[in-house]
Amino acid sequence: MSKFWVIFKREYAQVVKKKSFIVGIILTPAIMAGFVLLPTLLIGKKATSAEKLAVVDRSEQGIGRQFEESLKRYKLEASGEPYYIVEQVFELPAADTVRFVAVEDSLRQVITDKELKYFLVLKPDAQLSDTNLYLVTNSDNFLSINRFEGRLSDILASIRLEESNVNLGVDSVLSLTRQVDLKIRDAKGESLPFLTKYMSALVFILVMFAMILGYGQMVMRSVIEEKNSRVMEVLVSSVTPFQLMLGKIIGLGAATFTQVAVWVLLGAGIYSMKGALNIDAAVDRIIFNPLIIVFFALFLTTGYLLYSTVFALLGSIVNSEKEAQNFIFPISMSLMFPVIIAMYIVQEPNSTLSIALSLVPFFAPTMMTMRLVFVAPTLTTYSVLSGIAAQAVLGFVIVVLTIVGMIWLTGKIFRVGILMYGKRPTLPEIVKWVKY
Amino acid sequence: MFLKLENIRKEYDGKVAVDALSLEVPRGVIYGIIGPNGAGKTTTIRMIMNITIPDSGRILMEGAQSGAAFKNRVGYLPEERGLYKKMTLEEIMVYMAELKNYPRSKAIGKIDYWLDRIGLAEYKRKKVEELSKGMQQKLQFVTTILHEPDLVILDEIFSGLDPLNIELIKDIILEMKRAGKTILFSTHVMEQAEKLCDNLCMISYGRKVIDGKLTDVKARFGRNTIQIDIEGDGAFIASLPGVRKMIEFNNYIELHVDEGVDTNSLLRAVTEKVVVRRFDIVEPSLYDIFIDMAKIDPAELDRSKEAAGV
Repeated sequence: MSKFWVIFKREYAQVVKKKSFIVGIILTPAIMAGFVLLPTLLIGKKATSAEKLAVVDRSEQGIGRQFEESLKRYKLEASGEPYYIVEQVFELPAADTVRFVAVEDSLRQVITDKELKYFLVLKPDAQLSDTNLYLVTNSDNFLSINRFEGRLSDILASIRLEESNVNLGVDSVLSLTRQVDLKIRDAKGESLPFLTKYMSALVFILVMFAMILGYGQMVMRSVIEEKNSRVMEVLVSSVTPFQLMLGKIIGLGAATFTQVAVWVLLGAGIYSMKGALNIDAAVDRIIFNPLIIVFFALFLTTGYLLYSTVFALLGSIVNSEKEAQNFIFPISMSLMFPVIIAMYIVQEPNSTLSIALSLVPFFAPTMMTMRLVFVAPTLTTYSVLSGIAAQAVLGFVIVVLTIVGMIWLTGKIFRVGILMYGKRPTLPEIVKWVKY
Repeated sequence: MFLKLENIRKEYDGKVAVDALSLEVPRGVIYGIIGPNGAGKTTTIRMIMNITIPDSGRILMEGAQSGAAFKNRVGYLPEERGLYKKMTLEEIMVYMAELKNYPRSKAIGKIDYWLDRIGLAEYKRKKVEELSKGMQQKLQFVTTILHEPDLVILDEIFSGLDPLNIELIKDIILEMKRAGKTILFSTHVMEQAEKLCDNLCMISYGRKVIDGKLTDVKARFGRNTIQIDIEGDGAFIASLPGVRKMIEFNNYIELHVDEGVDTNSLLRAVTEKVVVRRFDIVEPSLYDIFIDMAKIDPAELDRSKEAAGV
């Protein structure tokens, strides 16, 4: 066991002494917090200047004027000035298509975000079909587009009502058919914006991905280096291959753990000053969620251990980093798999498929973290016997068991592979080493 | 017996690397394993080091099966050298010693002595990658023996060293022998083996062909080697009666003759055709024995022994 510690110490010191290690400790949480905050900040950003638009109205029913009027209710929050400025309403006779084409063409020329952001075209009989009206714009501002839709719906509905013979006042019908604006709240109160959760999940996974892949490849590189420099032969004349492998994996793993531990301490420090720092509610609920913090740390460390055994195995059978490149792609893909199917997971984080995938050993670290970010902040209580906490515990146990199996398997291949130079072994040969 | 190999056999993918190999290495001797490239020297050494495991047979150190404790008492310099390029000289010396369970403080205490001895004292805090190849070799040799091993195994120890460094290392090896250590080395350079070893064994095609004390081995091959210098074409000599083999060197010819041949009549036969400047009857050099034996497939040797009723 003492030789294991000698190797452990060297591998650990080698990483921790590097400047990049210190930089990573400080930079990573800053980047994480930034990414979690950024979308919230951007989306919450209030408009400070008015948006300009024009209307081309061929309906001969004054829809354009009514639309202009209806927009007056929107004010800029900061100044109280109108949110929308209708530069002009072109009221054209329905029959005069020549002038219409000319007007539309000239409007298209000037459409930019600053000068003229939108123009609305109303054809004759706009109330009859949605194909008779359209909005020209280069912007995807959902907020404004939703408002335009709402106002136009009201105007066109009132025209339809007048045309039909329903014996009710226009206003009363409108109030009867009013659309519901559904506010979403979760069990804890105000809902977290979807984008915030999504970005947080991605940030957690990217950090995990970078650390597992970074440190894992360090294990691989160090094995390849020892093979190439032939230090390996001296090493195995002093220690067993198994001691060497474990010393390496756990030494570098301790470096990973050191990094995470510093973050947790840092986080605890910030959390204790929570009141003074005016922390964003979203950050508070995601980053300082106990379930997320605990399992992020656990899955990061075990994920590292799991993947680093794979990298140790890889390093022992290849002769150069170049040769290893081909294999790194599938390994990183299995780590990134949750991101690829993220859209499904985030919509159905508690579906059977999502749960099942998050229990597959090589997906569990990232997949379970992603689900935790989506599910845990909405819960008021946790139970380790059911729900996400129980699944996370189960996933953790599965990963730990897989690590034990992988270390056994890798140990078998490692001890033969590290002394094989030259030709890369074939799969049947590797299978033989396992049995040997 | 300090180290004992009993009937070792090792196969790689159906190819026999070492077969029926038994060796006995007494304590406190310098023991040479010689043989041509690919004969099985490195495989044998790796099995002694417990790096690879023999398919059959036993390896005993002081009567006990080699194991983890054994590793700590051995210093091993593999044929393919290598050190961590990014570590400093003192770091790597301490690290390698610690891997042998040698106390850290004791290792640190010996760094200066050894670095001074190999002329690298000023590099103590420099990184290994700053050393020349020859310097790295010397450094690795020192890391091999820093933890005071009882047995030192040196695979192709002298390859790539200049004569000065060869002398330096030879001196250290002789010192270790005087201190009662056992040194096992392999080489295919016979001059060095001849100068250094007390006992030797030669391996060819994975099997032992010669084994014993250097003096005994030489005696066994008898005084049946003749070196001659001539002027003119000596090709005819090869077909003279009693000449088993003729090896032409640049400056002289070496003849291996049958046992009991009349060397006088041989000399007469040569002087009849060419001018002879030197005619020497000598002990066979290890080199000759090596050339002789390396050509014989040991399986052949077994058959001829059987035929002769040996």
